[in-house]
Amino acid sequence: MCLSSLGFPANHSDLEATHDMPSPPLPRTTATPDAPLVGLIANPVSARDIRRIVANASNLQLADRVNIVLRALATLAATGVTRVLMMPDRAGIRAMLSRHLQREHNLQHAFPQVEFLDLEPTSTVDDTFLAARLLREAGAAAIIVLGGDGTHRAVVRELIAGADSSTAIPIAGLSTGTNNAFPELRESSVVGLAVGLYATGRLSAEQALAPNKLLDVSIQSGDGIRRDIALVDAAISTDRYIGARALWKPEGLHSVFLTFAEPHAIGLSSIGGLLAPIARDAPGGLAVRLAADPARRQFGLLAPIAPGMAREIGIEQFEPMPAGRPFAVDLDAGVVALDGERELTFKSGERVTVTLRENAFRTVDIARCMRVAATAGLFRLCS
Amino acid sequence: MPDNNPFPLPKDELLDAYRRMRTIREFEERLHVDFARGDIPGFVHLYAGEEAAAVGIMKHLWDGDHIASTHRGHGHCIAKGVDVVAMMKEIYGKKGGACEGKGGSMHIADLSKGMMGANGILGAGAPLVCGAALAAKYRAKQKGGPSDVAISFVGDGASNQGTFLESLNLAAVWNLPAIFVVENNGYAESTARDYGTAVDSYVDRAAGFGLPGITVDGTDFFAVYEAAGEVIRRAREGGGPSLLECKMVRFHGHFEGDAQTYRAKGELEDIRANRDCLQRFTQAILGAKAVSEAELQAIDRDVLGLIERAVAEAKAAPPPDAADLTTDVYVRY
Amino acid sequence: MARKISMKMAINEAIDQEMTRDPTVIMMGEDIVGGAGGEGEKDAWGGVLGVTKGLYAKHPDKLLDTPLSESAYIGAAIGAAASGMRPIAELMFIDFMGVCFDQIFNQAAKFRYMFGGKAETPVVIRAMVGAGFRAAAQHSQMLTPIFTHIPGLKVVCPSTPYDTKGLLIQSIRDNDPVIFCEHKNLYGFEGDVPEKSYTVPLGEANVPREGKDVTIVAYGLMAHRALEAADLLAKDGIEAEVIDLRTLSPLDMDTVLESVEKTGRLVCVDEANPRCNIATDVSAQVAMNAFGALKAQIEMVAPPHVPVPFSPVLEDLYIPSGAQIADAARRTLAKGKT
Repeated sequence: MCLSSLGFPANHSDLEATHDMPSPPLPRTTATPDAPLVGLIANPVSARDIRRIVANASNLQLADRVNIVLRALATLAATGVTRVLMMPDRAGIRAMLSRHLQREHNLQHAFPQVEFLDLEPTSTVDDTFLAARLLREAGAAAIIVLGGDGTHRAVVRELIAGADSSTAIPIAGLSTGTNNAFPELRESSVVGLAVGLYATGRLSAEQALAPNKLLDVSIQSGDGIRRDIALVDAAISTDRYIGARALWKPEGLHSVFLTFAEPHAIGLSSIGGLLAPIARDAPGGLAVRLAADPARRQFGLLAPIAPGMAREIGIEQFEPMPAGRPFAVDLDAGVVALDGERELTFKSGERVTVTLRENAFRTVDIARCMRVAATAGLFRLCS
Repeated sequence: MPDNNPFPLPKDELLDAYRRMRTIREFEERLHVDFARGDIPGFVHLYAGEEAAAVGIMKHLWDGDHIASTHRGHGHCIAKGVDVVAMMKEIYGKKGGACEGKGGSMHIADLSKGMMGANGILGAGAPLVCGAALAAKYRAKQKGGPSDVAISFVGDGASNQGTFLESLNLAAVWNLPAIFVVENNGYAESTARDYGTAVDSYVDRAAGFGLPGITVDGTDFFAVYEAAGEVIRRAREGGGPSLLECKMVRFHGHFEGDAQTYRAKGELEDIRANRDCLQRFTQAILGAKAVSEAELQAIDRDVLGLIERAVAEAKAAPPPDAADLTTDVYVRY
Repeated sequence: MARKISMKMAINEAIDQEMTRDPTVIMMGEDIVGGAGGEGEKDAWGGVLGVTKGLYAKHPDKLLDTPLSESAYIGAAIGAAASGMRPIAELMFIDFMGVCFDQIFNQAAKFRYMFGGKAETPVVIRAMVGAGFRAAAQHSQMLTPIFTHIPGLKVVCPSTPYDTKGLLIQSIRDNDPVIFCEHKNLYGFEGDVPEKSYTVPLGEANVPREGKDVTIVAYGLMAHRALEAADLLAKDGIEAEVIDLRTLSPLDMDTVLESVEKTGRLVCVDEANPRCNIATDVSAQVAMNAFGALKAQIEMVAPPHVPVPFSPVLEDLYIPSGAQIADAARRTLAKGKT
């Protein structure tokens, strides 16, 4: 079996000209309605927060994000993906991508048919939630996500809502955010190839996908329960407001719960990574109690808790976090930061618990996909 | 911090922020009505819906700090402490107005409060702010301590002006205590932002000129307040200029009388219902029981009284004298 | 004590003395120090023609080289003036006003009036004016009338080193925005200049030569050409009175009217293009206010209504000469009442 025998769409004769302004319909290859569909969520507002001011965090420019998307689209096309459905935005990705795709069309380069989801962008995280839902409803085989930990968390939260982890759409993450413990650094061209192989059915779920852990966070009060998730870390702080969202001050950190903890990670998970590393695919997580009170402090730990910030953190204790066991937070009032961003405030009388869940959602394992594909000769072309 | 206040401001400051935002809202909504009735001459551009940005930023400023505003300047004036009655008189073109009736809505200024003027020329405030920041830097050098800062407000439309882009560069080159706030309400007059801006990210713009930039939800007072606090502190302490983009919504047209047919169906109703920064702030502080309903209602009554008095005084005030036509062109000529 | 120095040095000395006297006096402009950020000499240029050379050594914190970004730094000078400083901004060539004019005419000029008399904008914008440098159409213009048209601005254009120093010091101390026009062909012109600080008031014309037969009104380089004309006329026994306006806004019409009352004949000279220039303004005011005193029609001497040409032959034809002015004086003397 080789790529060209599977209908490799190298032909661009069917590209059609487009004239509408200001957002022209995109150049397209012919796509049948049942052709494999790939979703794409590129968060235009990731890597824009206060950490650029307080810690020189990097800023991936829109032009670069658009280039990342274009490279993924090009290799998706090379594997035979003809339909891509994207989250629209008002922050410039759609507008710039449309201009670029028009140019690619003029140059007669092959690209999938790119369409935008029918949603009115609000430039908030709600766009990501809604986009993930619409992609699920549209039957996307996989979703490529451009963003940091926060963006990935939002996509996963929506995809697993009401879905069995064994059927939830898998995601393939591309790191374009500020604090990227969850998405790996990958070249989007390769991600496009791997996702394309899975979406077109040449790699099975068993071959292509990997299971992931997450943290369920619940806040129980007399009025009911609020729930949310974290993919990497849930941090409890004595701060009591959400403000500019990002959590970067070590002062006030009360405890951190981690799904995995890599010693080379950036962000709050580095605390665990430097105490007791746990791999992404290993069972269990880690709960760390920090010592705001010097009297309770066992030792100090130097950790890069945010980009550009290596800070001393007082450690009181840490322990393994087995799946399924709720950990109660013994703080009267504060804020829960999920994957680095303050999301939920809680007040006196509210009970916060954090529970690790295994096999919670699936990701496209890019390295494994490519290895299997290579072994099976999927990239060999017919002579 | 008292137990029932989970916010980064003490209660009296929360109430002050509420008062300023409520004052802007009532001032603008009243102008909207009075303009439609034909009471007000000239062009009026309303700030309603954008209050959290002006107040979230201005809460960090003192009188020695300068701001340069835009054509949509009433909110900045009120947040910076310009007298509301004098503003209303000015908008009515009366004697005793903030500019003695010679400036009008688009040019209200009060240099004693560091308010360098609303500006009828889009993007013109940015170079002025470089100058004010330069002056602040000299003052700080002489007296020591943290520097005064200067803040330029610009809309997403005027961010395409050369003056704005040149100023980003100049401020970075001179390491000025200047802050460039992009008030992004999605419309350059009637034109959607996507249409007129090829690289549509202001953070990217800032990076292109060598200064840090951040984006915040401009409808969230606390997000603006915290982010502004950091960029202002950075500027005061010699960390140089930065850019702050506030994503926000405009409740009214570009100018009064704008039928806004360029908006999507239901857009105005949606932003009023779901993206009202004042409502959001009120819900947050009430929800946390940091303040009481009664306290807010008392402020509402004060504010309505103030606006009522401002309109009454503005209407009753005499127009400028004929002799005023030719005065105050020069300090001395 | 007076000594002979060039107009260029007079400017340098005025800025030096004001910076020493007043801590709020700063200066900004393109290459006013020169060599900033490079590995070679600091103060390499001292301005494109060396006018500010040496000031950096004396006032290192007060001279700011700028990016090539006139809107930004002219605006910054205006903004600094509105917040407590007394900046001098050098626009280099006045022809560059096209890229920063908004800041001058919509901002600096308007603040006082538009803000109800509550703003002061003590900024001086220095710029080179005038032809004769073989610099062609975009570096040679005499754009003074564009600025005099705008209420809120003051406009100065001196002709001698003495006036230059006194007027510049006065302009720096003045609380309104001043456009200070320096004729580049006069930079090397030397004259008596006292070492001490002094001021020449704005809005007062000078009468460098008195006469009873004809009044010649000029400014800048043309003041010198008018004096040449007077010399030529003197050979024919004609006594010309030469008025050097020095300040164009405010304009000292009293001195002009007084002279015309005496001579009855007027020649207005301007290096600016002939439509709506300073000469037409002076002519109109004389016609309105001293018509009865005129014995003949007013004559104007100005360049043709064309851009400044490059070719030396053409540029020399463009710039009004002493002989042309003398001819104009003879024309008005040949006509009308005696």
